[in-house]
Amino acid sequence: MARIIGGIGTSHVPTIAMAFDKGRQKDPDWQPLFKGYEPVAKWLAEKKPDVLFFCFNDHATTFFFDHYPTFALGVAEEYAIADEGLGIRKIPPLKGHAGLARHIAKSLVADEFDLTIFQDLPLDHGLHSPLTMMWPTKPDWPGAVIPLVVNVLQHPLPTPRRCFKLGKAIRKAIEAYPEDLKVAMVGTGGLSHQMIGERAGFNDEAWDLEFLELIDRDPERLAEMTIEEFMRRGGNEGAEVIMWLIMRGALDERAKKVHQNYYLPMTTAMAVALFE
Amino acid sequence: MSYVFDLERSAKGLRLNRFLHSLTDAKRRKLFLENPEEAMKDLSDQEKDMVRRLDWKAMQDYGASFFCLEKLARAKGVSNPQMVAHFRGESLEEFLKTRRVPGAR
Repeated sequence: MARIIGGIGTSHVPTIAMAFDKGRQKDPDWQPLFKGYEPVAKWLAEKKPDVLFFCFNDHATTFFFDHYPTFALGVAEEYAIADEGLGIRKIPPLKGHAGLARHIAKSLVADEFDLTIFQDLPLDHGLHSPLTMMWPTKPDWPGAVIPLVVNVLQHPLPTPRRCFKLGKAIRKAIEAYPEDLKVAMVGTGGLSHQMIGERAGFNDEAWDLEFLELIDRDPERLAEMTIEEFMRRGGNEGAEVIMWLIMRGALDERAKKVHQNYYLPMTTAMAVALFE
Repeated sequence: MSYVFDLERSAKGLRLNRFLHSLTDAKRRKLFLENPEEAMKDLSDQEKDMVRRLDWKAMQDYGASFFCLEKLARAKGVSNPQMVAHFRGESLEEFLKTRRVPGAR
C-alpha cells in the first residue's frame, strides 16, 4: 500500500528560483537560504519518496480569473514548465504520477471534495521554485509530483479548516492506494509578506515563528483561525500559508518537526520545515 | 481602501488583467514590446494610459491583480522590490534601506 513518509513546509518565493538558477549558493546574501534546505534535500535523498504531493498556488500564470478553481488536482503523466514572462526555466518537465493522482481524485470526490481536475497544463514557480532546492534536476527528477493547485489569489479563499480537512482526506486516499509507494507531502507558501497597498513590504517575524510552532504542535489552532486573521497577522499575501495546513492534515497526528530554517532578506519571509 | 482581490475587483479588472496575463505568451510579449498600441488595442483609453506609464499603483487601485502586474513587470524588466517601493510611495533606495539584506533580489 502507498504510505506518507513525512512532510515539508516551504516558501515558494520566485527569487528562490532566481537565486538557484543564477548559482548564488555561495553568495553571502543567499547562503543562509541554501543552507536551510540542505537537511531537507538530504532527507529526500535518503528516504527516496516516489511521489511528492505538492499543495501550492498558481500565480495567474496557467489559471486565469475567467474561470478560477478553488482546488484543482493534476492527473497527468507529465507537466511542462510555465513561462511567467521571462521565458521557461531550464529544468526538465515535471513527471506526474497519473495512477495515484486519478485514484486520489476519485477518493476525494467520493469524500465530497468536488475538485477541478486538470491535465496538459504547465506549472509555475509555486511548485518548482522550492522543488529545485530539494530535488536534483540531473540527469532527471528522481521521482514524480502530484500538483494540487489552491486558490489563494481571488477571495473568497477556502477556509483554513477546509484545507486541514482536505489534507486528512488526501491521507485516507493515499493510504488506500494498492501500489507500494512512498509519498511525501509538500505544503508551500508564505511566510509573512504583503505585496500590495501602503502596507506592501509588511512582515511579522514573531507571527512567523508562532506559525512554525503551531503548525507542528497545534495545527488545530491554525485551522480555527479565519482568512482575515491570517491576512492581518501575516500580510494579505501571507494568508497563503493555509496550504501548509493541507500538508499537515495529511500527516500522522504524531508527526514532529525535525528541522526548520527561517530567513527574511527582502519582502517575503522564507521558511522551510521538515516533519516526520 | 481595501486591496483584497475579491470578486468585485476581479470583475472590474478583468479586461486589464486579461491583457497583463497575455504577456505570459512569448508571441504576445514580443508584440507588446515591439508594437504596444497594437497589443493593447482591446484596452480602454484609461487602461492603456496606466500601462504606458507603468503606473503600478494606479493599475492596482483600478483592479489589477498583483500577480498579473508581475507579468508586465517581467516583460519590462521591473523587479518586485521596485513595484513594492512604488506602492509604498518610496524610491527603490528608500525601500531597500528598510530591508535586512538589500542585495538579496
